[in-house]
Amino acid sequence: MNKMMCAVLLGVGVLTGCASTSQREIPVVESGARLSPGVLRDVGDQPLVVDSRQENEPVVTVMTPPEAGMPAIASGDQPAAVTWGATEDQKLFDEPSSTMSGATPSVAAATRVPDAPVQALLSTAQQQRGKGDLNGAASSLERALRIAPQEPQVLYRLSEIRLMQGDLAQAEQLAQRGLSYSSGRPALQAGLWDLIAEAREKQGNSQGAAEARHKARAFM
Amino acid sequence: MSKQQVQRKRKKKTAGKGKGNRGWLGLLIKLSIVAALGLAGYMVYLDAIVQERFAGKRWTVPARVYARPLELYAGQKLQQQDFITELQALGYRRTAAAQRPGSMSVNGSQIEVFVRGFRFYDGEERAQRVRVRFASGQVAALSRADGAALPVIRLEPLLIGGLYPAHQEDRILIRLAETPSYLIQALTTVEDRDFFEHHGVSLRSIGRAAWVNASSGRLQQGGSTLTQQLVKNFFLSNERSLSRKLNEALMAILLELHYDKEEILEAYLNEVFLGQDGNRAVHGFGLASQYYFSQPLAELELHQVALLVGMVKGASFYNPRRHPERAKERRDLVLDMLAEQGAISAEQLEVAKQQTLGVTSKGSLANTSYPAFMDLVKRQLREDYREQDLTEEGLRIFTSLDPVLQQKAEKSMAEAFARLKGRSGIDQVEAAMVAVRPGSGEVLAMLGSRQPRFAGFNRVLDASRPVGSLVKPAVYLTALAQPARYTLTSHLQDKGFSVRDSKGRNWTPQNYDRKEHGTVFLYQGLARSYNLSTARLGMEVGVAEVLKTARLLGADHDWPAFPSMLLGAGSLTPLQVAQMYQTLANGGFHTPLRAIHNVLTADGEPLGRYPLHVEQRFAAAPVYLVREAMRRAMTEGTGRSAYNRIPRDLRVAGKTGTSNDLRDSWFAGFAEDLLAVAWMGRDDNGKTSLTGATGALQLWSELMRSASPSSLSDQVPEGVTEVLVDPEQGLQVIEPCEGVLRMPYMVGSEPDYGYFCGVSSSAESADEEGNKVRGWLKGWLNRR
Repeated sequence: MNKMMCAVLLGVGVLTGCASTSQREIPVVESGARLSPGVLRDVGDQPLVVDSRQENEPVVTVMTPPEAGMPAIASGDQPAAVTWGATEDQKLFDEPSSTMSGATPSVAAATRVPDAPVQALLSTAQQQRGKGDLNGAASSLERALRIAPQEPQVLYRLSEIRLMQGDLAQAEQLAQRGLSYSSGRPALQAGLWDLIAEAREKQGNSQGAAEARHKARAFM
Repeated sequence: MSKQQVQRKRKKKTAGKGKGNRGWLGLLIKLSIVAALGLAGYMVYLDAIVQERFAGKRWTVPARVYARPLELYAGQKLQQQDFITELQALGYRRTAAAQRPGSMSVNGSQIEVFVRGFRFYDGEERAQRVRVRFASGQVAALSRADGAALPVIRLEPLLIGGLYPAHQEDRILIRLAETPSYLIQALTTVEDRDFFEHHGVSLRSIGRAAWVNASSGRLQQGGSTLTQQLVKNFFLSNERSLSRKLNEALMAILLELHYDKEEILEAYLNEVFLGQDGNRAVHGFGLASQYYFSQPLAELELHQVALLVGMVKGASFYNPRRHPERAKERRDLVLDMLAEQGAISAEQLEVAKQQTLGVTSKGSLANTSYPAFMDLVKRQLREDYREQDLTEEGLRIFTSLDPVLQQKAEKSMAEAFARLKGRSGIDQVEAAMVAVRPGSGEVLAMLGSRQPRFAGFNRVLDASRPVGSLVKPAVYLTALAQPARYTLTSHLQDKGFSVRDSKGRNWTPQNYDRKEHGTVFLYQGLARSYNLSTARLGMEVGVAEVLKTARLLGADHDWPAFPSMLLGAGSLTPLQVAQMYQTLANGGFHTPLRAIHNVLTADGEPLGRYPLHVEQRFAAAPVYLVREAMRRAMTEGTGRSAYNRIPRDLRVAGKTGTSNDLRDSWFAGFAEDLLAVAWMGRDDNGKTSLTGATGALQLWSELMRSASPSSLSDQVPEGVTEVLVDPEQGLQVIEPCEGVLRMPYMVGSEPDYGYFCGVSSSAESADEEGNKVRGWLKGWLNRR
């Protein structure tokens, strides 16, 4: 009799044991991963989460922008020790209002768009780029482009990002777009032609690259 | 018998008797063991269900679709009212001082907003207070509330809809930490006082309920715990039988075995049924908060929380929109219970009771506000994602829709038809419009029909209609790309002709007014939309070439190479037309139209991007020349009635389009930062009384008037130069005089110097029809 009771108790115990498991979370979220707070409305202060994943592109090259009169340091020539971040308040290709070609309208007409938001976004993009977040940088640059669609500095930076990401065709196209807005800004034009040269070179178009380099030099 | 023998016998007897008793007992015990085993087995089975539901099965959360976030910066062209509209759509409450996230205060032309903040794909906007000052339709100043400079900030994007699975459930998942004060207290006070103590079933609650029900004679209280309610919601139908109750109780116990109170509570908050919107159920406090108040749950105040908690008992019965008095009573009862428990003070109770219900006038589940645009979003997504991923994994989809512009477009549609009222047959006329940002190819607004809010035939995407004169820019672009042969002032003969095709049929084009206009400038052929001169030009450059140009522009067509294609016998949808004109508006750079910026997972991890993609399809110079001709179409050509609606100083370019017998009325045109294509016609392809100018152009101009975009830049691209030419011969003049034209030319193709204006004997102007060319100069004309 006792044996039977024991057996039953054991059996029930075993069954209950099978039934229960260790304490587990009810995943309230869809895919079992943690639901990020503030899905829609982020009320509290959230720490800035920076996506520091590296895209699979080679070295993060930082091009030192050519100041007026200085030759551009092309990426790959030397690992730039100077990062852009130091001069983030400075305009890329800082140039005086154009009085060069009389027929072309002054640069002032092209810069009637407010400066501050574009510069802020350019600087954000540089920071993101410095952390390896190229997609984020591109996003910030596209924001800047929405505000100032004709600002060639933004197209310059976006073209650089595409180069870094290996999208060479787009790098070239974006630089071309930038050129169409750069009349009267020779340093910028030179820089853009250099980007085109690099993109063409990497696509195997050596002749086109040589032509572009030639054009770049003509502006310097 | 000996004594021992008797004793043994008695023992035997008692033993036998004991055995008999033990037999009954034994049977009972055996039965109860079997029952226990049975119960245990059943529990195991139930347990498997419980675990599977909570651990294995996912909460299906539809994808959420957002509009573009509004960016703010000093110098931005933005009307104060439009800004307020956006804030209100986002659920910002107007208060005296913007003290909490989600509030704004308006003082004249200055607005202070406590921005909620948002985690975007590319970074985070923190919640913060900002000050925006408006002047002359612009943001004059933007700063943080403490005065610090703020170059740019993004508001959170407006939720414009969701992608729902077949079973139509929706949720906004919330965590326990995000709940507003008093929610947990109210919930437990009203529904389950011993929640934190019991183990799934509360005998006290059952007892209390039984007492209340018995004494009142009817079923008033349920004795269910929150855990039991959760089980009921999750698994079981609404059947209220005893067996259901038992199952419920068992499963509740099992649930409590596996999960702790917080987890169960969180699940409850996300599961409880709180309303019905058509055929969609509102589950969970997160969604209910949006649905009833247009606010995130964490922002709710005491009286709002009390209302929602009160609705747990019966969401339809206590629907605050349908039964406001009942809802208010219930809410106040909840508040009383809270006060009774000491959770709130007497003053809080008073203040809360005095509040109105505070619900918005209609639910903002926002699935059908923008059906045409959502349609495009879905189609673009379905190319890259499975249906299941789209509708169940809680993806977050960020689009380019501009809700303020969309609203303006809808108003324009209504306005335009109001003004067309009374025209014969106007009631059968349908319409469509799409607005795009030319530089980036982003679709900003979309109206698929005359009644934009109704989901139905999406004409922007699916109405493929003959484009008529909208094709003409392709003809002129093909020509102008050959500057040695054609310039804007080349002479065309607007004279009738016939072409015989391979089958021996004649094609004899006609002008709209059935007249011939003699010799005209090339740009006039486009600006006035002459058929004869355009068709001749098209035949000269070659139909195949023109079709190739159209395709390169982005018109995704499959038109055969017939001459009639030169005048737009081929069909396109409004979106395809927009793609084609986008390249023209963007200086020859083609950018595929897109509605989506990026897609994130529910956790905010980037899943997909739709980046800017540009491709130079044409050189800037010939595109600029075509654009100039299209600009003149607006100032002096078939589009000039637009300036009845838009300001004179707004430089725009565009093209009217009218197909045969007025079956289609088109207009495609753009300013610097806005391109829009409008179409009107009958779904049954019948004749309307509308031309491109009298129909679609009206719709387009209304939109441009209210959108007030930026003027087309007058900056001339590299390789183009502007010179003065006389209005009769198109020869360069040395000095400007009356009627002289300022015309762009590709460098090297400028006309010769000649005609010395002011010497002419007649006062003919170039802009009038029937302009006669002086015979004695004819010989000097060459087709340049």
